[in-house]
Amino acid sequence: MDTDLVTRAQRGDEEAFASLAVAMGDRLHALSHRILRDIDLAEDATQQALLAIWRDLPQLRDPARFDAWSYRLLLRACYAEGRRKRQWAPNLRILPADEPSGPDATGSVHDRDQLERGFRRLSIDHRAVVVLHHYLDLPLEQVAEILGVPLGTVRSRLLHAMRGLRAALDADARPAQQEAVR
Amino acid sequence: MSTDRETTLAVRSWLEEGVTRLPDRVLDSVLDQVPATPQRRSWWPARRFNDMNTYAKLIAAAAAVLVVAFVGYQLLPRNGGIGGQPTVAPSPTVLAKGNFTTIGATVGLDATRAGDKVTGTMTVTRNEGDFTVDLQCSRATSAGSLWIAGDVTTSTDSTNAPMNTRAGIIFQRGSAVKAIFIFQFNDPRAATCQAFLDNMIAQVGEPDFASLAPIVGTVQLAP
Repeated sequence: MDTDLVTRAQRGDEEAFASLAVAMGDRLHALSHRILRDIDLAEDATQQALLAIWRDLPQLRDPARFDAWSYRLLLRACYAEGRRKRQWAPNLRILPADEPSGPDATGSVHDRDQLERGFRRLSIDHRAVVVLHHYLDLPLEQVAEILGVPLGTVRSRLLHAMRGLRAALDADARPAQQEAVR
Repeated sequence: MSTDRETTLAVRSWLEEGVTRLPDRVLDSVLDQVPATPQRRSWWPARRFNDMNTYAKLIAAAAAVLVVAFVGYQLLPRNGGIGGQPTVAPSPTVLAKGNFTTIGATVGLDATRAGDKVTGTMTVTRNEGDFTVDLQCSRATSAGSLWIAGDVTTSTDSTNAPMNTRAGIIFQRGSAVKAIFIFQFNDPRAATCQAFLDNMIAQVGEPDFASLAPIVGTVQLAP
């Protein structure tokens, strides 16, 4: 991120912040959507995060660390949205599991469906680690810094999350394998 | 059964799908709200610090032990000799005590209170520099936060906590205790520690703890 823009926005320059918001809005929204798995929640979280970034920018001491800092604020907004809407958040499947299609495509659809289910069973803590590491390609050390937890905790969360997702994929594969044996 | 590599590839491929663009109406809404959203003054830095290493932990623990020993020694009753009357003083009680991390900084804290008198030390360790605060005052607000502050007596963090400035920490009680540091930024040094806290509370009120992470570790807070 342009540190000059960050510095100007820190001093209250609204135009500079608008440029920042345009530059980072898509990325933050992509992250929140992947973590929350709900378009409405993701929009609310992104909006709250952008406002929090504006509000708290003067507290950011090192403009060079703006990206990691903004991710942290976004994750806090995701936690808040996740808590606020948890009671009624729909647990929808993206696609019906029995949708007819070719073998390869079916496998892909089933995988996505099972991953969606498995991912929704994870806590926001675990989802955040998966998304930051596997979507943003951030090293685990940086993930730990963003989340404010020890590296060991991040490793543990990632292991737990990936184990859950793998189990979700395998749960889908099991009936097909049994069918093939018969 | 899927292998780890297959699972990783599947997850990465799946994550690539999905929304990538923030709708204009959301962005417009944010920018519409900006003029009416005041920026927070930088009384406390929301910066991130790396965890303390083992040596630093040992040093902080040793410092905490020394502080406890020193405070304990100072609080020992001193009789005025044979026939002297024992001094009646309020019993010291724990104000805040613990070792934890917050906002990436590692904190060793041991503060006691005897009546209105607060004594103790807070050691803060982080990559950017360390500092020690000689704790001297505290305030508990009706909203449930506990403010503890004092003089910076040692420091390698000339940015946030230069020597001879005042600094402190705020705790928000709850099922997950949250904390944040306060510093004397850009303001003249208040005449007393209590005046420093009073000024801070008057000017910034209760901090927004919703945006803070809980502490990691334990801290015992006075009721």
